[in-house]
Amino acid sequence: MEINGEISDTDSGIILHSGSDSPTTHTKDVTTHTRAMKVKHQDLRDRLEICILELKKLCIREAELTGRLSEDYPLLPGEKPPQIRRRIGAAFKLDEQNIPHGAEESELSFVDAELALQMKIYEAARKLCEEEHLSKAVRKSRLQQCKREEKKLKQLQETSFQLRLEHGRSSPLPAFNITQQDLGTSDDSSLSDSVVQDEEVTSQSSQPSSGLPYPVETDPPQPPPASSHSSVDGSYMSPSVAKQSLQLNLPQSPLASLDSKLSSDSSPLYDLPPIQHTPWTESSLDQPYQKNKKSRSSSKTSSPAKSELLPPLEACLAQAGLPLQLSHLRLSRTQSSSTPSTPEMRVHRQLSLRLSSPESSFDKDRGRTRGPRRRLTEYAITLPQTPSPPVNFGNHANSEDSNSEHSFTSYNSSPCQESPCDLPKYQSAFPISSPVGSYGPQAFSPAGFYHNPRHLPSPSTKNTYYNKEMVYPPDMDMSPSYFHQQAPCSPNRYEYWYKDTPVPHQRSQRPLPPDVRLTPPAQWDHPQYRSNCLPRQVVNEQLKSWHRRSQLKAPRSRSLDRQGAVRMKNVSPREAPCYPNQKYHDQINQRAALQRAAEGVQGHWVVDDGTHYMSQV
Amino acid sequence: MSFVPGQPVTAVVQRIEIQKLRQGNNLILGFSIGGGIDQDPGQNPFSEDKTDKGIYVTRITPGGPADVAGLMMGDKIMQVNGWDMTMVTHDKARKRLTKKNEDVVRLLVTRKSLEEAVKHSMGTYHKQ
Repeated sequence: MEINGEISDTDSGIILHSGSDSPTTHTKDVTTHTRAMKVKHQDLRDRLEICILELKKLCIREAELTGRLSEDYPLLPGEKPPQIRRRIGAAFKLDEQNIPHGAEESELSFVDAELALQMKIYEAARKLCEEEHLSKAVRKSRLQQCKREEKKLKQLQETSFQLRLEHGRSSPLPAFNITQQDLGTSDDSSLSDSVVQDEEVTSQSSQPSSGLPYPVETDPPQPPPASSHSSVDGSYMSPSVAKQSLQLNLPQSPLASLDSKLSSDSSPLYDLPPIQHTPWTESSLDQPYQKNKKSRSSSKTSSPAKSELLPPLEACLAQAGLPLQLSHLRLSRTQSSSTPSTPEMRVHRQLSLRLSSPESSFDKDRGRTRGPRRRLTEYAITLPQTPSPPVNFGNHANSEDSNSEHSFTSYNSSPCQESPCDLPKYQSAFPISSPVGSYGPQAFSPAGFYHNPRHLPSPSTKNTYYNKEMVYPPDMDMSPSYFHQQAPCSPNRYEYWYKDTPVPHQRSQRPLPPDVRLTPPAQWDHPQYRSNCLPRQVVNEQLKSWHRRSQLKAPRSRSLDRQGAVRMKNVSPREAPCYPNQKYHDQINQRAALQRAAEGVQGHWVVDDGTHYMSQV
Repeated sequence: MSFVPGQPVTAVVQRIEIQKLRQGNNLILGFSIGGGIDQDPGQNPFSEDKTDKGIYVTRITPGGPADVAGLMMGDKIMQVNGWDMTMVTHDKARKRLTKKNEDVVRLLVTRKSLEEAVKHSMGTYHKQ
């Protein structure tokens, strides 16, 4: 207030001059006007004061938002501009789920809450880092701060993960996922928050010295601690203390590079835009919309999508843990949009597979699920690219039939089959191999060969498998790194793969078993050949299942991996029983024939798209 | 071809009529599209304005119906049979283009060379 008084004094003079009352009139009628003038003067002064106050408030508020004090800020000659601290939306809400409730106060829930909080803290710190107009020192300290928070975050995630593993999966959703969603909203709301709290803001700003170096950090903790406090037992002192202790307990990761990597990884996740863009893709218009027919979507386009979408897939799998059906639905939905790309690949693969058993009698096959085992050895011998099947087999004997689920992934890994001995290898092979798979038929064809069997297994066996799977993913979803999730699954997939392979032989009993084995490699070299030789039935099945699934409609994913995985699931348990209806098959056969004819005629199309291994119809 | 959301778009367009090729149950258009409001426009290699979420022609099958009709790679599709294509999702665009019961699709497309050509001709016209 004192300041304002001064200001108004000096300013008032100016105003008087420019005001309506000119000095001349002033001097003339001194007696009559002095009094009125004085009153008016006082009045104006007061108004000016108020206006200046208002202006100051506005300027400060603006500064809070922009980080810079506006030039319009009314400064007296000797006055220093107030220190403005940019305000970042500190008032966010933690998701209810993350706040431990009295009922279930467990270590896990506590850690989850802590984790959710830490996530926001880290996010805030990161944002502070990105701020412009910072002095070097400040920036540096903020960077450090950010790294610290990141470390904490990691540790929390790890502990939470560990706990989850121990407890099995108790809560349906990991805190990780929830918080991700939250972050987006909290960011958006930050502006409005600061506006709403302007009273608070101004008061804060008027006493610059009191400002905390990291307002965001200090602010956010307040709300959650209160809640967590109540739920957790009384021994809990304060959030910050707890955090510290946590930090101490956990080994610090000395590698800065790791941290930076994490930040880069996580940032996109945290900053999810309200509407998520899918990667830019193209789709050929030569396939009917949502029809399973043949499609030739370029593998080129889909490959980027695949890489991006992979992690989400994992998440999906993990979350799908509850009912099998659910997971099916979800997966199927994802692929629906990308209808064209998947079916194609499928078809080709299938074709290659079926060569061995041209007329696959599904009914027969169903009963045969068990067969594969004994044949395994045979199989291994015949095919050069198959790794040591016996080894794999031994590891996961129980998950025999499950292969259908992951068969697709196994495709991708095929290039790496040569050295399948140890788990770590598989894991690493996974990410790498997937892109490879997308490039061309070669990668897939061998895998495709193996695949055929998946339809055959009896439904009952499948079910058991599913149950198992359900157990797996839930635990995994908290895993901070991609690898964790993959690790458990990949071996299984691998295995399945081998197990399945034997089935074809059985089927092919009547035809020529030996030939079957040999054929796949040959096809491998000649994609065209493959397509020509397709066994219709296989294709039909595929198409049919595909069609069904596509009708479920849903989010899009173009990742090949995902689709493959999905498809397998859907196909095996449900579709298998339906195969008998021959009508459908026939129709499809016709189509396939047409398609083939088309291929023959327009061979150049295939040639044109070097990257597409699929042929356009 | 860039535009401000909410403002009318002005562009030089070419009318292209594609006779779909019927092969079995399948109708072939002979080109591929990319883009849509649900896709990341920044990755669109064809757009000048990287925020443009329009539908773009990404691939033309040589000798295919689209090729015959004069569609070119990189064209931005403005309309399909009168339906706006500048603000649609990728799938919507696909649907519009691949309708089974339509043997012909009429496109309004715009491309940079078109605009330049028009500008050029306008310029000479004025000079005369």
